Amino acid sequence: MLRPLVNIWQRYRLGRWGLLLLVLFLFLLPLPQFIAPERKLVTNSLLFSFTQMFMLVTLASNWNLTGGFTGYVDFGHAVFFGLGAYGTGVLMNKLGWPFWPAMLIGAVLAAVFALLIGWATLRLKGPYFSIAMLGTFVAMREVIRVLKPITGGGEGLTLPPYLNRPLFYYLTLILAVLVVSLIAWIRRTEFGASLIAIREDEVGAEMRGINTTLHKITAFWIAAFLTGLVGGMWAYQNTFIDPDVVFFESRTVELVMMTMLGGLGTVAGPVIGAATIYWLRDVVWANFLQYHLIVQGLLLILIVLFMPEGILGTLGDRSATSLNRIVRKWFGLTRNGTEGV
Amino acid sequence: MDQFLQALINGIMLGGFYGVMVLGFSVIWGVMGVINLAHGEFVMVGAYITWVLNKQFGWDPFWALIVVIPIMFVLGYVLQHILINRLVERPHLISLLVTFGLSIIIANIVKLVYTASPRVTDTALKGFWRVGGVTFPITKTYILLAALIIMVALYLFLQHTRMGKSIRAAAQNKEAARMVGIEIGKVYALTFGICIALTGAAGMLISPTQAIFPFMGPPLTLKAFAITAMSGLGSIPGALLGGIVLGLVEIFIGTYVPGVGTNLGVVSSFVLLVVVLVTRPQGLFGGLKPATEVQ
Repeated sequence: MLRPLVNIWQRYRLGRWGLLLLVLFLFLLPLPQFIAPERKLVTNSLLFSFTQMFMLVTLASNWNLTGGFTGYVDFGHAVFFGLGAYGTGVLMNKLGWPFWPAMLIGAVLAAVFALLIGWATLRLKGPYFSIAMLGTFVAMREVIRVLKPITGGGEGLTLPPYLNRPLFYYLTLILAVLVVSLIAWIRRTEFGASLIAIREDEVGAEMRGINTTLHKITAFWIAAFLTGLVGGMWAYQNTFIDPDVVFFESRTVELVMMTMLGGLGTVAGPVIGAATIYWLRDVVWANFLQYHLIVQGLLLILIVLFMPEGILGTLGDRSATSLNRIVRKWFGLTRNGTEGV
Repeated sequence: MDQFLQALINGIMLGGFYGVMVLGFSVIWGVMGVINLAHGEFVMVGAYITWVLNKQFGWDPFWALIVVIPIMFVLGYVLQHILINRLVERPHLISLLVTFGLSIIIANIVKLVYTASPRVTDTALKGFWRVGGVTFPITKTYILLAALIIMVALYLFLQHTRMGKSIRAAAQNKEAARMVGIEIGKVYALTFGICIALTGAAGMLISPTQAIFPFMGPPLTLKAFAITAMSGLGSIPGALLGGIVLGLVEIFIGTYVPGVGTNLGVVSSFVLLVVVLVTRPQGLFGGLKPATEVQ
């Protein structure tokens, strides 16, 4: 009876990680139905934790699209999260829009901004791109603070409260599944292959007739749009936004760390990394909140120094990209600036 | 006209601070090939040491330099042995990620110890000199003076001492430096120590005029990067000029664009950075080597 299913699976080459994700999805889908006050295991706060985790899975997958596939390591990806959140917040608070169109416009805002900023910054190479994006992020926080009449400045904005945990649970779960599937699909298309080609050898890809700038910008704005959607959902769920909460430095660090832990440039890597780090954080060091960021910084250093290929790479998944491959693209085989070897 | 002159003077004074602040960043990058994203955090640590000496021991911030420089040197030397040593001669991406992690750790440790509230140090050197319609804030004048002294001292050190020459040699050609018997490992440790000491000194210079708080670092790192991209790696006159350019841009925006204050300083440095990188990737002045050559 399972045979036809297995055949379909093999025909579309969905792999074991795909199977694992499908099982997880089927398992997670009915979870809100089990909520009952007397049950200890499934509570509202558990749903909330899952919601946060799905958001992180989506964000890490988006980051991976430019950071892992194309090899442009983006240190300011949270700027699109912030634009999505603020787009949604301003439309709902100042203009009284309903949630759905506000979220959509917020995400469009993030995508348009990505088009504009990517047009300039995606021409920069290596560390210059990373830092330019970090600059975009810090600069946007200040701009939001200064634009007080629109954004509420440092005092922030309040959104109409709407406490419906199961709704956000489904919303983020479905978005996470859609995004991961989209990225798995992109990975198999010519577009995805071109992105990988850009990572491996940008000049070579260009000589093969790939319009590298167009590809990079396309990947960039798709990621920005999806991240903007998550930003909008987060803002509505949190019901309050201000520049420091939304444009929080560690938001980007988290994504980089999760993706690297799972496996840079793979489809399943960001999912595994985000889930691992989220639960580690939620369970292990939730009790030591004031040390949270210190531990996070330490973890980032340890992963980079001792596990640059991530979980998937360490497990021997050959599609996992080692950090070194990206590095080879940017910096050649030479060692930091000494010409030739 | 007075307003213009005033803005000019304020911009140059701010530029002096930026010049000192950026030196450590650009020399580390030039010599060791490490882009130190925790740079602003070292400025912050220097500022906090000054603040502790000022509040608990009643030292004047300018005297605190005597303590800040050795402490920061030791800190840099130790960090180089524990951590940074694993990053030199490895790709930039690794040093970016690791120092990013380091910056988060430092900022949060300081927050844990001293809380997030902003602090200011008091100096006896305050007040104003008036010349015509223009005022010279005394504190900032002394800061500029101290900045110039530090820069000249570093210049003399790099040009005229044996150690300084070996640092420059390591920056220009590692292999050749090794061949003539320079111990690169020692040079790196020394360079990092000296640069962190300079950076800490910059933290002292900022403490009397601006509020210091644990999360002041990232904008400073960003400005350091922008100035380095403009001035080329390890160039002292370039750092000063680049710092003054950024200081002027910041102050003029604050003076002539109403209602923004200096909040847009980061924005202006970012715009400057992208414009320079896109139009003149070799930097404006040239230093030990152009920034883009080191990739």
